[in-house]
Formats: sequence, structure tokens, C-alpha cells
Amino acid sequence: MNIVNDTISSLHRVVKANEDIKKVIRISSGVNLVALNAMLIAKRSGERSRGFAVVSSELRLFSRNLDAAMNGLGELIFSLVRDAAAMQRQRQQHSHFMTVMKANKSVRKWAEPTLARVEARMGVVEEEISQDWHRLRLQLNRVLQLCESGRSLSRSAKIEAVYGGDMSTTLKQVASQIEGTVDEIFSTLKLLRMQLAD
Amino acid sequence: MKKLEFIYEDGAHKWAVVARDPEKPNHLIDTNEYLVLNGSEALLADPGGMEIFSAVFSAISAEIDPYTIRHLFASHQDPDVISSLALWLDFNPELKCHLSWLWGSFIPHFGGTADTFVAIPDEGATLSLGGLALDAIPAHYLHSSGNFNLYDRKARILFSGDVGAALLPPEESSLYVENFDRHIRHSRDFHRRWMGSNKAKLSWCERVSRLDIDMLCPQHGAIYRGEDVKRFINWFADLDVGSGIRD
Ligand SMILES: [Fe+2]
Ligand SMILES: [Fe+2]
Repeated sequence: MNIVNDTISSLHRVVKANEDIKKVIRISSGVNLVALNAMLIAKRSGERSRGFAVVSSELRLFSRNLDAAMNGLGELIFSLVRDAAAMQRQRQQHSHFMTVMKANKSVRKWAEPTLARVEARMGVVEEEISQDWHRLRLQLNRVLQLCESGRSLSRSAKIEAVYGGDMSTTLKQVASQIEGTVDEIFSTLKLLRMQLAD
Repeated sequence: MKKLEFIYEDGAHKWAVVARDPEKPNHLIDTNEYLVLNGSEALLADPGGMEIFSAVFSAISAEIDPYTIRHLFASHQDPDVISSLALWLDFNPELKCHLSWLWGSFIPHFGGTADTFVAIPDEGATLSLGGLALDAIPAHYLHSSGNFNLYDRKARILFSGDVGAALLPPEESSLYVENFDRHIRHSRDFHRRWMGSNKAKLSWCERVSRLDIDMLCPQHGAIYRGEDVKRFINWFADLDVGSGIRD
């Protein structure tokens, strides 16, 4: 067991990932507004944009799913922070007992069993943390898939906008808003997934 | 290196101290840790801060089986007193920690479970160490608002926690107070600043002066013996405390 495997268990790395996830959460909360806006405009344009109304209500659904997925990411980050902090504490305790191990043999024998226990505990926490990261990667993939469906929604919105008659310009604006937001989420998540891969 | 020194021995009943550490980094206050032994059971009074755990543990383990330590006594909640708790519990999860009820939900932030702690009521209590009575003597507001000394009637030793503490310069490294007047200069500012209540101080002096004490053992600085014990109590009774803020 590698008890000084910093890359996998450091709080530092968790904090960095969390910053990206917070960014995605911020952007995705914007999707909700875009979806609402799209629905209102679709309502106003009435019969001229039935198709757009369908797309915008699907967009609402997408936004809700995205919300739930983001909550899932938040929970995973919470477990990671908790486990990384536990690891940090174990590591600190480990170093205090390692100092005792520098003493002579008669002293060392009293610290050995404790050191072994602390190391065993560190192994358990390390395993927990690598599972946390694994779950986080799975969840990221899920969100990326969701974003793919968001992308096709924004494409449909663009097409429907063409048939919007005198509302066409407004609908086009909304459609590109949707596209922009989904793309931003997509690229941030892709970057994050790349960072987590190594 | 910290070392364990015996200051009282009567058969299997002993007191030892892990005294001040000349090698300790300057930014940590120097502390004394006291070990009371009675046969196969021991109590460690004010086990000390996390940063000095390895030094204290090594010093004790070099002389005795550290598993004989069954009890920790925390005079109060300060980090220099008890922040090593989690490490002691790593070593032996069965350890009991005796402390004022007032800090019962604070000290667990340093470690331990609900089973670790034994609360001492304000009026004090008598702990049994393999049949040896150790009295937790109230010393509230000196300096902590939930604070106890530990008195061994048989050995006539009072562990006084922060009361009697002295912040000594490195050249004064004697275990015992050798020259009271010279020593007490290093105590004055500490007591004026850290001790908050003249009323609590007088109550302590009155109660403690009625005890038979051969040695008064503070958590910081040197141990008072014989006549110096009375001298200290009288000096403390006369000192105006709660007044040490420099302006
Ligand atoms: Fe204190
Ligand atoms: Fe202290």
C-alpha cells in the first residue's frame, strides 16, 4: 500500500475539481432561465411556433435533469472532501507515530501495533477515496451524455426558429442562447474529465 | 529529548514527570506531563499538545509499559493540555479521559467517542487508580472556567495545572524551585494575565492551604517543594490577578 499517494487523496486536488464543478453548476442554473424565457416567447408567438413550444418544454425537462445531475456531483464532492480530510488527519497521526519509531527499540515496540493500525486505516480511507473519484468520473460521464441531448435540443430549437414567422429573430436568439450555455457546460466538463483521467 | 523522572516512590505507588524539553521549538509553550502510577495502573495528568506527543510517548515508553496508562486527566480544555488526545486514543482506544463537565462537548473536537470521557462535576470528585484515591480539586477560573487540580493525599502531591506556572528562561532548567524569590519573578506576569478572578484565587488559596502538600506540581515551570509550597500560596493570595494587560 502506498501511504503517501498524494495525488489520489489530496484535499488540494478535490478543491481544484470542485472549483470546476461549481462553475458548471453556475452555468447550468442559467439553463433554467433560458428555458423559461423560451417557453414564454413560444407562448407569445402562439400557433406560429408550436414546434418551438415543444422544444422549449423539453428544454425545461433537460434543465431539471441537469439540476439533479449537478446535485449528484455536489454530493460526490462532499464525500471526497470528507474522505480527503480524514486521510489528511490519518497522515498527520501517522507522522507522529513515525517520529516515535525513530526512538530506540524498546520504545519502538510499543508504537509498532498502533502504527500498523493507523496504516490499515489509511488503506481503507485511500480505497474509499479512489471509489469516490471513480463515482465522480461516472457521474461526469452521465452529465456529458445529458449535455449531448441538450445539444441536439439546441439544434432543434434553431430549426424550429426558422418557422417562427415574425418571431423568428427572437426565437433564433433564444436558440443560440441555449446552444451557448450547453456548449459552455460541455467544454468545462470535458476539461475536468481530462484532468481527472490522470 | 524529554525524559521521565521519578519524583515520588513508595513501593508500587509512584509519581513521575516528563519535564520541560530543552529541544522543543520555541513557538510551543513548554509543558510538564505527570504520570501517577499505582501497581499496574497509571494516570497521565495533562498529556500535552499534539506536537509533543511523540516526545512524551517515547519518554514514558522508555521507562514503563505505556499500556499501564488507563486514565488521562485534563485539568482544563487548552491545546497544550489535551490536543494529543486523538494520538493517545490511537495507541489505546480504551483510555478514559477525566475532565470538567464544562468541556465535555468541546474536548471531543480533539478526538474520542462518547465512551472516552468521564465528566467531573463542579464540586470535584475522587478518582480511583487501582484503589489509590486521587481528588479532583476545584480550581475554576484559575485560569479556565472549568478547571481542576489533582491531589494525592497519600503522596502529598498536588498537581496544580496552570496554577503555579512559570515561564522560565532556558538557563533555569532545574526540575525544582531552588530560589523562590528568583523563581517567582517568572510567575508574576503569567498569573496576573491568565488568572481571571481574585475571588476564585482566594477560595483556592484558602482550601489548598488546608491540605498537606509536600510538592506542588504545575504544568509549566518548576516544582515547588516543602516551605516553597506555602510561600507560593501566600504569594498568590496577595497577588492582584485579572490585571495583566500591558498598555
Ligand atoms: Fe491553560
Ligand atoms: Fe497550560
